[in-house]
Amino acid sequence: MNTVFKGEHLLPGHLGQIFVILAFGAALLSTISYYFATTNTNKLDRSWLKLARIAFYLNSLSILGIGSCLFYVIYNHYFEYHYAWSYTSRDLPVYYIVSGFWNGQEGGFLLWTFWQAVLGNILIVRAKSWEQPVMTVVSLAQVWLASMMLGIEFLGVRLGSSPFLLLRNAIEAPIFSNPDYLSFIKDGQGMNPLLQNYWMVIHPPTLFLGLASVVVPFSYAVAGLWQKRYKEWVTPAISYALFASMILGIGVIMGSLWAYESLNFGGFWAWDPVENASIFPWLTLVGGLHVLIVFKNTGHSYFTATFLILFSFVMVLYSSFLARSGVLGDTSVHAFTDLGMFWQLVTFILAFLALSVFLLIWRWKELPITKKDEETYSREFWMFVGAVFLGLSCFHLVVFTSIPVWNRMFGTNWAPPADLVGHYNIVQAAFAVVIALLTGFTQFLKYKKTDIGRFFITTGVYFVFALVIAALVVYATGLYKLHFVFLVVMMASIYSIMVNGKILADAFKGKVKLAGSAVAHIGFGLMLVGALIAAGTRKVVSKNDKGIDITDFSKAANERENIQIFKNEPMKMGDYVVTYLGDSVSQPNHYYKVNYKRYDNAGKLVEEFLLKPNVQINPQMGLTPSPDTKHYLFHDLYTHITALPALKKQADAQEGEMHGEEDDKNYEAPIAHEVAVGDTIRFREGYMVYKGLNKQATVQNIPLSGNDVAIGAQLEVVSNGKTYQAEPVYMIKKNSAFDFARKVEDIGLKLRFTKILPDRNKIEITVYQQPENKKPWIVMSALEFPYINFLWAGTIIMVIGFLLSIFRRNKELKTV
Amino acid sequence: MKKSSILGLVSIAVAIAVIISFYGSASTYGSFKDAKSTNGQLHVIGYLDKEKELYYDASKDANYFSFFMKDKKGEECKVVFAGTKPQDFERSEQIVLVGEMKNNEFHASHIQMKCPSKYVQDKVDVTEVSAKKAEL
Repeated sequence: MNTVFKGEHLLPGHLGQIFVILAFGAALLSTISYYFATTNTNKLDRSWLKLARIAFYLNSLSILGIGSCLFYVIYNHYFEYHYAWSYTSRDLPVYYIVSGFWNGQEGGFLLWTFWQAVLGNILIVRAKSWEQPVMTVVSLAQVWLASMMLGIEFLGVRLGSSPFLLLRNAIEAPIFSNPDYLSFIKDGQGMNPLLQNYWMVIHPPTLFLGLASVVVPFSYAVAGLWQKRYKEWVTPAISYALFASMILGIGVIMGSLWAYESLNFGGFWAWDPVENASIFPWLTLVGGLHVLIVFKNTGHSYFTATFLILFSFVMVLYSSFLARSGVLGDTSVHAFTDLGMFWQLVTFILAFLALSVFLLIWRWKELPITKKDEETYSREFWMFVGAVFLGLSCFHLVVFTSIPVWNRMFGTNWAPPADLVGHYNIVQAAFAVVIALLTGFTQFLKYKKTDIGRFFITTGVYFVFALVIAALVVYATGLYKLHFVFLVVMMASIYSIMVNGKILADAFKGKVKLAGSAVAHIGFGLMLVGALIAAGTRKVVSKNDKGIDITDFSKAANERENIQIFKNEPMKMGDYVVTYLGDSVSQPNHYYKVNYKRYDNAGKLVEEFLLKPNVQINPQMGLTPSPDTKHYLFHDLYTHITALPALKKQADAQEGEMHGEEDDKNYEAPIAHEVAVGDTIRFREGYMVYKGLNKQATVQNIPLSGNDVAIGAQLEVVSNGKTYQAEPVYMIKKNSAFDFARKVEDIGLKLRFTKILPDRNKIEITVYQQPENKKPWIVMSALEFPYINFLWAGTIIMVIGFLLSIFRRNKELKTV
Repeated sequence: MKKSSILGLVSIAVAIAVIISFYGSASTYGSFKDAKSTNGQLHVIGYLDKEKELYYDASKDANYFSFFMKDKKGEECKVVFAGTKPQDFERSEQIVLVGEMKNNEFHASHIQMKCPSKYVQDKVDVTEVSAKKAEL
C-alpha cells in the first residue's frame, strides 16, 4: 500500500540524503586515492593525488550540502522530518534554530565532520610532502563520520542515523496511516529549555572543532610511523596539537560556563560522566604535546609522545561513544540515548585503536627510542614526568567514569562512589599538585644539563615565597576548613604562577621564546586557584534555620540552602535584605524579580540590585529553572528558584469578579469595618484609607439600565512602602444587591464593599487577608562564589599563552 | 636502575592505587533491605509511589521533602531529602537515590530522576491528535 501523503516537502530530504551518500562515497574514494598516492613509488605520477583531492573537495561540498538541506528543513519548520520535529518548534527564535542544528546526535556528527573537512582543506594547502599520508588518515576518519549519518540498511545492519529521517518512518503511530497526517502536526517538540542559552550557540561548535582537530596530530603520528619519518612529523604536529589543546580547552570551559550560567546544580563542574569524557582527550593531548617538545629538543621520550598523541584521538572517539551510545544510562544527565549505533561506535574506536597498536608494533624495532637515560636535573625528564602524570590523571577519570561500561562488560553491579564529587575532587587534586609543581620548577631547569646549586637556590626561594603567599590566601579565603590536599594544590598553583611570572619577566627582557609557555602556565595556575576557591569556599547566602531539623544528614545535602520568601515581604538573608517583587512573563520564561539590598552597620543602604532568576515552563520538559547571577570583580552572587507554588490560572482574577464562596477558602476569616470618608483601616501588613465614593463605577460585561446603581469605594492601600488603588463595587440591579470584590494580589488582600449605611453616612468594607502560606511566594537559593573570575580569567590567559606558542612554533615551521 | 624504570614503577603504583581506590570507593546499587544492613551510603533505584503523599511545605520547612518509593524488589520506604521538591517530581518514571537508612527512613543526599519525556522522546501525543481530528 503506497499512501500518498499530503503536504510533505520531500525534496530537501532526498537531496540531503544524496549529499550524505555522496559525502560517504567521496570520503571513501579520497581515502583509497590518498593511500595509493602515498604508496605510489613513481614520484612524477600525480594522478592519485589529483583524484584524492577532488574526492576530498567533493566530500567537503557534500557536507555543506547536507548542512544547507538540514538548515532549510529546520528553518522552514518542516515537521515531517523527525529532526525538525524533535528539536525545534515554531516559537523558537532564529538564533536558537542555529543551535537546534546541533541539538541532535546527527547534527553533532555533521558539525564534527564539517570541522574535519575544514582542517583537511587547510592541510591540503599547507602539509606539502605530508599531504598524502596525513590526508589518508583524515579521509578515513571522514568515512567513519559520514557512515554515522547514513541511515541505510546494509547486510541487515542499520548503519548510522540520517538527519533526514521522516517523522512517519521514525515513529510508529496510527496517525501516520492518515494521508493528511501533517495537518495534525502543528508544531515540533521544541528545544530542551536548558539548551536555549547563548552559550549553546557557540559552545558545541567550539568543542567539536577541538575534538575534530585532534585528528591532525593523530594523522601526523600515524604518517610518521607509516612513512618512517620518525623525527620530522613532530614539528608540524606540535603546532596542530597546540591548536587542538587550545580549542578543546576553550570548548570545555565554555561548557562549564554554560552550566554555571544556566543550569541549576549550583556550580561550574559536577564531574558528570559526559563532562569528564570531554577532558580525557585534553589531558592526554596536553601530556603528548609536552613530550613532543621534549623529543624535538632532546630526542628523548619518542614512544611516550607518539603513544599519547595516538591515544588522544582514541580518547576523542571513546568520549563520543560514552556520550552517544546510551551506555551511561543512569549515571549521567547529559548523555544521549542510543540511536542503535552502539556497535558502530565501538568499531569506530576499535578500528583506530587497532591501527595505532598495529603501527607501533610494526615499527617497534625502528623507533628512535633512546637507550641513554635523561639527566635527573634536566627539563626533559621532568616534562616527561608531568606528561605521565597527566596520563595517570586521565586514567583515574577513565576508570571511574567508565563504571557503566565495566558493568556492561563484566556483568557487575558497581555504582559510582556515593560521594562522587568529593572523590573526584580529592583524587584529581592530588594529580593537580604534582602537575602544578612540575609546571613551576621545571621552568628553572634547562634541557640536557642544569647547574644544580643554582637551581636549588632559586626554586627553594620561590617555594618559600609561595608557601607564605599561599598561607595568607588560605587564611583570607577560609580555605583552611577544607581537606589538606586542597591547601597543597593552592600552594602548588601559587608556586607555579610565581615561577612562570618570573619566566615571563625574563621573556620581556629578551627570552621571548619562553613567553607562550609561561603565559599558558600562569593561566593554568590561575584556573586552579579560581576553581579551588570558588568551589571550596562556596558560601550559602540563603541559609535557612527555620524548620524541623532532620537529624544528621550527610554534610553536602544539609546546607539548608533553600529559603522561602513571600511577595513584598522583605527578608533578611545573610548580608542582604531580599524582597520578592513579582514576576514577569516573556514566553516561555517566567522571571521572578528579586530585589537585593545591602546595608552597612549604620543602617545606610550601600547597594541595591535586582536579580531575575527564571523558570521555563515547557510542556515536554516540565519546569526548568535557570539562575541569575550578580557579578562582582571578586565574587559572584548566584540566585536560583528551587520551588514554586503550583501555578494557578490568573485569567479572571483581577477584573469584575463576583464574590464567590469558593474563593474565600483561600483567605482567613473576614473582618468587616464600618468607615466614613477619610477613615483608616489597619490590616496585618499595612493600612488603607477610604477616600470616597465613585458614583459612576462600572463593572465589565454588566450593562446598567433603569434604576440600576453601581458605586465604587475608592481605597488607597499602603503596604511595605507601596501604594495601591482598589475600588470594590456595590451594585443594585433589578432590586437585588451584588458586590464585586477587588483583589490586591501583591499583598494577598481581597476587599469587598458589603453594605451602604446611608443613615450614618458610612459604608462597610470587608477585608479578607490571605494566610501566610497562600500568599505568592518563591523558594530560592542564593550562593556566593568567591574569586570565580580567576577561573575565567585564567582560561583566557591560558588561551593567550597557547596562541603565543602557536605563533612561535609556526615561525619555526617556516624556517625549518 | 634507570630513572625511567623508577618512573614506570611509580606510575604502575599510582595506577594500582587508583584501581584499589575503585574497589574501596565505588558503591553498589542495592535495595532498601540492603540499605538497612549496610552502614554508609548506597544507591537505590526505584519508582515513586504516586498513591502516597509527597510532602513539601515551604512555609514549614523549605528544606524538607519526603515521599514514598518502591525499590526494584517492591519494598516500599519513606524517603526524606533535605532540600526542595524537584520540579515535576510527580512525573518521574524512575528515581535513583543516594543515601542511607536512618530509623527506617531513607535519608537521600542525592536524587536523580528520569522523566518519561526526556527519555522516550519519540512519542507523538496521540490523544491530543485524535481530539483535533474530531473537529474536522
